[in-house]
Amino acid sequence: MRALGSVLKGASSAPEGEGGAASGACGRKAEGGERSGLRRRPTTRRACVHGAAPQTGLPKHDLDRTTWTLTWRLLRGGGRHGLLTAGLSVAASAVCTTLLLLCVGGNLGFESRATHADWRTPAKVAESRAVAVQATGTTFRDGEPVTVIDVAELPGERGEAPAPPGMPRFPAPGEVWTSPALGELPGEETTGTLGSDALTRPGERVAVVGHHADDPEMTTPRGTDPRRAGDIVTPTPIADFTGERDPGGPHAPYQDLMTIITVLVVIPLLVLGASSARLSVSRRDVRLATLRLLGAAPGRIAGITAAESAVTGAAGAVAGALGYAALLPLASQLPVAGGSWFVRDLWVGTPVLLGVLVGVVLMVVGSALAGLRQVVVGPLGVVRRSRAPRMSIVRAVLFVVVLLVYWQLSDRRELSVDAMTYFFAVIFAALSVVGPWAVGQLGTLVARMARRPATLLAGRRLLDDPKSAWRAISGLALASFVAGFFALFSLGGAPPWGSPDQLALAVPEERITQVRQEAGERLARADIEATVGTNDDWVATGTGEDTERQVTATVADPNQLDAAREVLTGLLPGQYPVTGNDVDWQSQQFSGDYQHATFAVLGASFAIAITSTGISAAGTVLDRRRTYGLLHLAGTPLRTLDAARRTESVLPAVVLTGGSLLTGIFCAAPLTLAGGKPELDAGSTALLAGCLALGFVGLAGASAASRPLLRTVAQEAGPRPE
Amino acid sequence: MTLSKSYGATRALDGVDIAVHAGESVAVMGPSGSGKSTLLHCLANIERPDSGQVLLADERIDELREPARSELRRTRFGFVFQSGQLLPELPAVENVALPLMLGGTPRRTAEQRARQWFPPLGLTGKEDSRPGALSGGQAQRVALARALVTDPRVVFADEPTGALDQATGQEVIRLLTEVTREQRAALVVVTHDASVARWCDRTAHVRDGRLVDEVGGAGSVGAGHSGADGIDVPDGTGCTDGIAVAGARAEVPR
Repeated sequence: MRALGSVLKGASSAPEGEGGAASGACGRKAEGGERSGLRRRPTTRRACVHGAAPQTGLPKHDLDRTTWTLTWRLLRGGGRHGLLTAGLSVAASAVCTTLLLLCVGGNLGFESRATHADWRTPAKVAESRAVAVQATGTTFRDGEPVTVIDVAELPGERGEAPAPPGMPRFPAPGEVWTSPALGELPGEETTGTLGSDALTRPGERVAVVGHHADDPEMTTPRGTDPRRAGDIVTPTPIADFTGERDPGGPHAPYQDLMTIITVLVVIPLLVLGASSARLSVSRRDVRLATLRLLGAAPGRIAGITAAESAVTGAAGAVAGALGYAALLPLASQLPVAGGSWFVRDLWVGTPVLLGVLVGVVLMVVGSALAGLRQVVVGPLGVVRRSRAPRMSIVRAVLFVVVLLVYWQLSDRRELSVDAMTYFFAVIFAALSVVGPWAVGQLGTLVARMARRPATLLAGRRLLDDPKSAWRAISGLALASFVAGFFALFSLGGAPPWGSPDQLALAVPEERITQVRQEAGERLARADIEATVGTNDDWVATGTGEDTERQVTATVADPNQLDAAREVLTGLLPGQYPVTGNDVDWQSQQFSGDYQHATFAVLGASFAIAITSTGISAAGTVLDRRRTYGLLHLAGTPLRTLDAARRTESVLPAVVLTGGSLLTGIFCAAPLTLAGGKPELDAGSTALLAGCLALGFVGLAGASAASRPLLRTVAQEAGPRPE
Repeated sequence: MTLSKSYGATRALDGVDIAVHAGESVAVMGPSGSGKSTLLHCLANIERPDSGQVLLADERIDELREPARSELRRTRFGFVFQSGQLLPELPAVENVALPLMLGGTPRRTAEQRARQWFPPLGLTGKEDSRPGALSGGQAQRVALARALVTDPRVVFADEPTGALDQATGQEVIRLLTEVTREQRAALVVVTHDASVARWCDRTAHVRDGRLVDEVGGAGSVGAGHSGADGIDVPDGTGCTDGIAVAGARAEVPR
């Protein structure tokens, strides 16, 4: 391990600033232009000339241990700032992991909800195999849906009917089992309480009612209503309660929405993870470059980087997993698709958990290795930057082509969620391609026009490293894309059917008189003031025959709506009286949840983006701490340094978030998803303005948060290299 | 009351009394940890002494508040460090023009004045090169230009040749001493290298925070050199002040 010791000594004593002793010497020699002290330091000279040669001569079986030892020494030897960057990397990985797990949990949660609702849409079997009959109806109480499942065991030697989910046995005729949230059905005595297996969520209102097979409820057909997927199921012979998934069921739009949300959140999360990984690496770039100069092979450098980022990534991932577990009870209280969640539904399970952890660590390691590419490719890559990189205009052309293709493919067509997901990914990628180019152009313009030192510094820095500048704001830019998209793409609107205080029943032509008379009598007996009438609207759905008309009861007092609903229930077997609002409940619920999801996604996107920006700002300060320190020593006011830093982040943020936002609006314009219409109304404009205000306040906050760090590094620095 | 400075229990400076005249160059030498860098920091107003006074001309500068200290360093002092003081993103001419711009000089004027420093320092044609494209010696000469472009009264150099080979280092210190002498600026150089110190008018030896010896004048390489023998300095203002570290003295020899 003597060789290891000498490598470490060289690394720890090497200057970090540009033109440091070790690197500077090799740099001069490499350029072949000047005299140096290399002749007096043959070891260094050899390392410089044969940079890729085997470095230590250690036996191969020691290399791994050497790598880990070096990694550990670099981690421990990083000092306070090293610990800070490592801590930020761990924190960012933790946030990434927690949010990723919550996203995955959300997807699995909706799938679990759908699975727990499957048994209510029975799978029809042949009469010969059937052991029971099952039908579903939906009534309402306080505007909330109550799912009523009617079941009846078929007579004869057919075998015993299985117990429905959440019940210990098949209900006998006349028995009523209800969910805890429902309590009891009006006028019915509750036999037992349904277990959670019968329910999609804790607050769901469900009743299972036992019947004889020849009861009218079990023999009268129930027509399908495309507006009410899953609400109504005609009596169906069944052999068990496995059910059959309705692809257009009420959970489908939520699953689609969650997929889109995941894509929209994951991309900024990847940016966050990558920026944190690069933050961790950037601080050690120079030391690793020095190791490279001393002869460490690219594999060793990559190994050290991978090991270090794996350590911080793994620590963050584990912390994030613990955070996810801790947040699960809180997350389960989020009222989505009608109410809160069972914790079991949001738990991703051990295999997925481990998969996400491994994925986060791999992402962090990959980002760190990508950030180190310069060091690995050439030992002078980090130490000497001789000219600003040029961003090809091909990037801009590519971006325009992607947008044009998108417009052609999506214009006036209804895209599937899968297609939209792919499009989002492609457009995000296109934004990431054009972003550095745009930053470079902006840098050129600013540097050319600058009159103040801070502006000149900012412009030159943007021009010097447009990719880093883009990374710092890319999260915000992508969040702005999301804001632009959602702002234009709104759902909602009043239901077009009936009126909210008018109950309707679908009645066959020949029974209208009788039903109207009986309805009037029942309402009168219950002392409910209501007007009974008939019309040809389409609110309620009966047996589905074309001859049905609507018998309506318009209550004088809206508070008596549920009372009227109760007295009219049972007038027609298997049918519950409904208002236009009731018919539209799924759409209304989804619309409300969509709004909440929009805010949640935007909030999360901006929070992630602001965190990324803050981390990048801190990383930039640490990267340039020596330059900042020396400039401060030479009398440069801190406010000038700070102004340069601010300009460097705010200018591209303003330009590129604006561009991304317009791209989002552009992408939403041709789409019509789930009945949504592209229009920029007052609410959407307010949403946009709010998001932008939040984004820029956050950006200013993120920048301000690293100001104390700037002050510290500027005042800590001495004239000598560290 | 002479200059003292402690870091915790460590006494870095212990009763130092030194004066540097306008146009004079002083090398500060001593073993590592002897206090020479602390002396430079106190002189340059980077750190406050625990006791004693630092005077620039008739002005006591060690009691200034931070903004005024920053302004003083920017406008009346010039700094040359061992390495890393150039901004890698900026072309050489913008690096040199930056202190002028910070002082309020319009960019165009600042760059014009900065360009004037390139030929005398042997940097013709390097104006638009970024520091990464310069050799160590060239980069250090750009740093010299940046330190001198504001016509400072005092130039502080901390191991200015520490990152350079012998020949390049000698060239840089020659330029530094000649230009400051031509500008009538005081020069304080902290160095380990006796061959660098020989270019200065005097050498002050520091040990254990004390000034133990001063050697000056005739033996120095730079003694008797004039700016006319060396290089033609643009717009030298010929300032007449120097800097003094002293106890009770409030004057600077002119």
